[in-house]
Amino acid sequence: MASPAGKTTAEKLVVKNGITFYRINSDKFKTTRVDLFFVDRLQKERASGNALLPAMMKRGCKSFPSVKELELELERLYGADLDGGIIKKGEMQFIGFHMSHINDKYTFGNEKLFDECSKLLLCMLENPLVEEDGFKRSLFAQERDNLVNYIRSRVNDKMRFSFSRCIEEMCAGEPYAIPEDGTEEDALLLTPQNTYALYGEMMKTYPAYVYISGQVDDASVQRFIDAFPVSGRDGIKKVEPVCAQKEVIDVKRVDESMEISQGKLCMGFRTHVEPTSPDYFPLVVLNGILGGDPHSKLFQNVREKASLAYYAQSVIEKYKGLLVIMSGIEASNRNKAEEIILKQVEDIKKGSISQDEIKATLSSLETGMKSMQDSQGAIVDFFMSQHLTESGEDFESMIEKFKAVTIDEVVRVAQKVQLDTVYFLKPNGNNSGEGAK
Amino acid sequence: MKYSTINYEHLGETLYEYRHESGLKCLLVRKPGYNKKSAMFGTHYGSIDNIFKVQGGDKEIEVPDGIAHFLEHKLFEQEDGNMLDKFSRLGASPNAFTSFNQTVYFFSCTDLFEENFKLLLDYVQKPWLTDENVEKEKGIIGQEIRMYEDNADWRVFFNLLDCLYVNHPVKLEIAGSVESIAKITKELLYDCYHTFYSPSNMVVVVVGDLDPDTVFSMVDEKIHFRDKGTVEKKYPEEPHHLNKDYKEQKLAVSMPLFYMGIKDNVRVTGSDIIKRRIALGIVLTEAMGRTSDLYTRLYDEGLINDSFRFEASVEQEYGFVAWGGQSPDPKKTAGIISEALQTLTTQGISQEAFDRIKRAHRGMFIRSLNSVDNIAREMMDSFFNATSYLDTGRIYEELDLDYVNRVLHEVFKGSPALSVILPQQA
Repeated sequence: MASPAGKTTAEKLVVKNGITFYRINSDKFKTTRVDLFFVDRLQKERASGNALLPAMMKRGCKSFPSVKELELELERLYGADLDGGIIKKGEMQFIGFHMSHINDKYTFGNEKLFDECSKLLLCMLENPLVEEDGFKRSLFAQERDNLVNYIRSRVNDKMRFSFSRCIEEMCAGEPYAIPEDGTEEDALLLTPQNTYALYGEMMKTYPAYVYISGQVDDASVQRFIDAFPVSGRDGIKKVEPVCAQKEVIDVKRVDESMEISQGKLCMGFRTHVEPTSPDYFPLVVLNGILGGDPHSKLFQNVREKASLAYYAQSVIEKYKGLLVIMSGIEASNRNKAEEIILKQVEDIKKGSISQDEIKATLSSLETGMKSMQDSQGAIVDFFMSQHLTESGEDFESMIEKFKAVTIDEVVRVAQKVQLDTVYFLKPNGNNSGEGAK
Repeated sequence: MKYSTINYEHLGETLYEYRHESGLKCLLVRKPGYNKKSAMFGTHYGSIDNIFKVQGGDKEIEVPDGIAHFLEHKLFEQEDGNMLDKFSRLGASPNAFTSFNQTVYFFSCTDLFEENFKLLLDYVQKPWLTDENVEKEKGIIGQEIRMYEDNADWRVFFNLLDCLYVNHPVKLEIAGSVESIAKITKELLYDCYHTFYSPSNMVVVVVGDLDPDTVFSMVDEKIHFRDKGTVEKKYPEEPHHLNKDYKEQKLAVSMPLFYMGIKDNVRVTGSDIIKRRIALGIVLTEAMGRTSDLYTRLYDEGLINDSFRFEASVEQEYGFVAWGGQSPDPKKTAGIISEALQTLTTQGISQEAFDRIKRAHRGMFIRSLNSVDNIAREMMDSFFNATSYLDTGRIYEELDLDYVNRVLHEVFKGSPALSVILPQQA
């Protein structure tokens, strides 16, 4: 438990058969939690199956064989939380599970919740609902339908949809083009049997990270680690955070239309910066100057000066070395917006960055790094990123690396940034607005 | 410096309350060990406050829809530049929001709290409006409105409010429409500002590892504005019946979306608002939470999925309960839900279910105290409802089953309305 006051650390406890256990030291929170991630390479034929695993496992386990029974137990445990889901980072897929509960002192009789809650997590992990050689068929049919419907409903959120369409076009032929929960056609190939076999692979071959945070005593942590299923894990997969370099020959332009009011412009760039490269730090600063905060060039020029948009921002994908600019605009302003956006990128390449701009970006990054330490989830996400790339950084050292970035470094990194794809989701003009009766 | 200290020992939280000589209240919740500091300056004025008497005069006016939100955008602009930009240069992350009954300006930071806090207190007292900057904002807000027009979750919610309410302005879009904001002028914005941005109609909320003397002395130093009169708002009479029981709209979605709700015609104030919210939360969980037979049936029949959610909204001026999500067959789903609600209203909630759900919800309340931003938002909201979010723990302890069953009958005897978004191709 010992850590200097105010410093948030992740202490490596033990590595058991490809599962690394960490203890997050920060005890100001009112909750205790365990986060567990299995990691796989992002591959078309596995992505939907991996996405279906947490959905199946959330349906119950041997000791609590229905959602109702599981949820009744969670209510009894003072509204404890048990969840699972899928995320994509670069060309990796993370199957995540999570348990959290309020600290013992907030229970009515100083009850010890950690043991009971971690038992639930382990039950979900080890004993999902199966019959014969596969997942329970009736549940499987429901969850596969849900997955297919979920994949189809990506279109509902136009901002996210246009972003992922831009990525699909830009990275066509690369694994990164695969959405985090796979594709409909692959989801339809899943059966109770092949999905259960994938579950076995996950348990036995995917590398895993476990993070324990909050006010929990060492003996309980040890009991949890001892009970964690590690048997049969001898052929652990190697999953590297790859960042394939790809030269841009021609800028790809894709326009699609839909019955919507507002056009969504997405511009994808290749940065050619690997997550482990020292250039990663100037790249993050570049993104802040370009489109991170209200002081950024995109916000100032597209929104404040030209009054073209409510949002105009940029994001980077660390593990794939991408930078994507997004803005919601009137279709008729498309060329004007594109021109202003590209001018901001060109300005940075030419070195047109003020002291104010870099200073504001650096202090915003510092605030961000310090604020992350006030959220248990953000702390876990930060350390997992460091552990994936084996960067060895903590919050303090990361802040120092950002602060050391100079304008010259930003400009040098900016010169490597290449426009790859321009995607525009445009209104098709038939949208009559309120179609209410 | 005189302020009061309230210890919430069972929650491990401390609240400091200060009353500035102008009448402005300032609340501080201290969070030892936290890096982040969050400060909010809010006014009890939102999108529903469209008819009012201008403070310091006799004239009663009706203003265009969306003006409270428009004013929120404009306050960021000052003679010497954009405030968002200035906060950003001090390492803070600034923002603002307008809801049905509040407009709140805030920032969070980890360093330079004093500089940022003074900036916040300053600019909210100093609007700078010109004909040009008001016109310019119409383009930006126009795009914000367009963005919401395409947002199916937003549309299904507002279409439900349109079903529930005949006259009440809660049914109106917070940002207004492109047509309504076209009518907004500098003069109208100043009328709104001078009426609602006055000490007795506002509050300052700060959450973080900060010393009360430091925070409150900055309030003393920076607060100069004064009340010119009292705030007099007017809301149209709202009948108990629905405006309509069904509304549908087509949008670019993959599967239909539905949202269903019942209007709560009982008005309460103060800590009864929190009490009623808690009671309705328990009722909704028992009726359609994951432990209910209704949820299990709908999920197993494929009529709802993970997107299903419910909410209880209890405010001084209005209230409703609502629930929904994606469904391949909204009308069938709505029919099954209505039937189950009737049964529950007849049978009432059992002691076992009450104890179990109350225990879980209280746990979720404690969990919510992990977040500095969340505490600040809740303290602001509860202040305008003349109560304190930190009393929630005590209210849970005092709550009894009879009250919950009474609220169940009061609300769920009302008839539900249904709002549906259909895919365009269907």
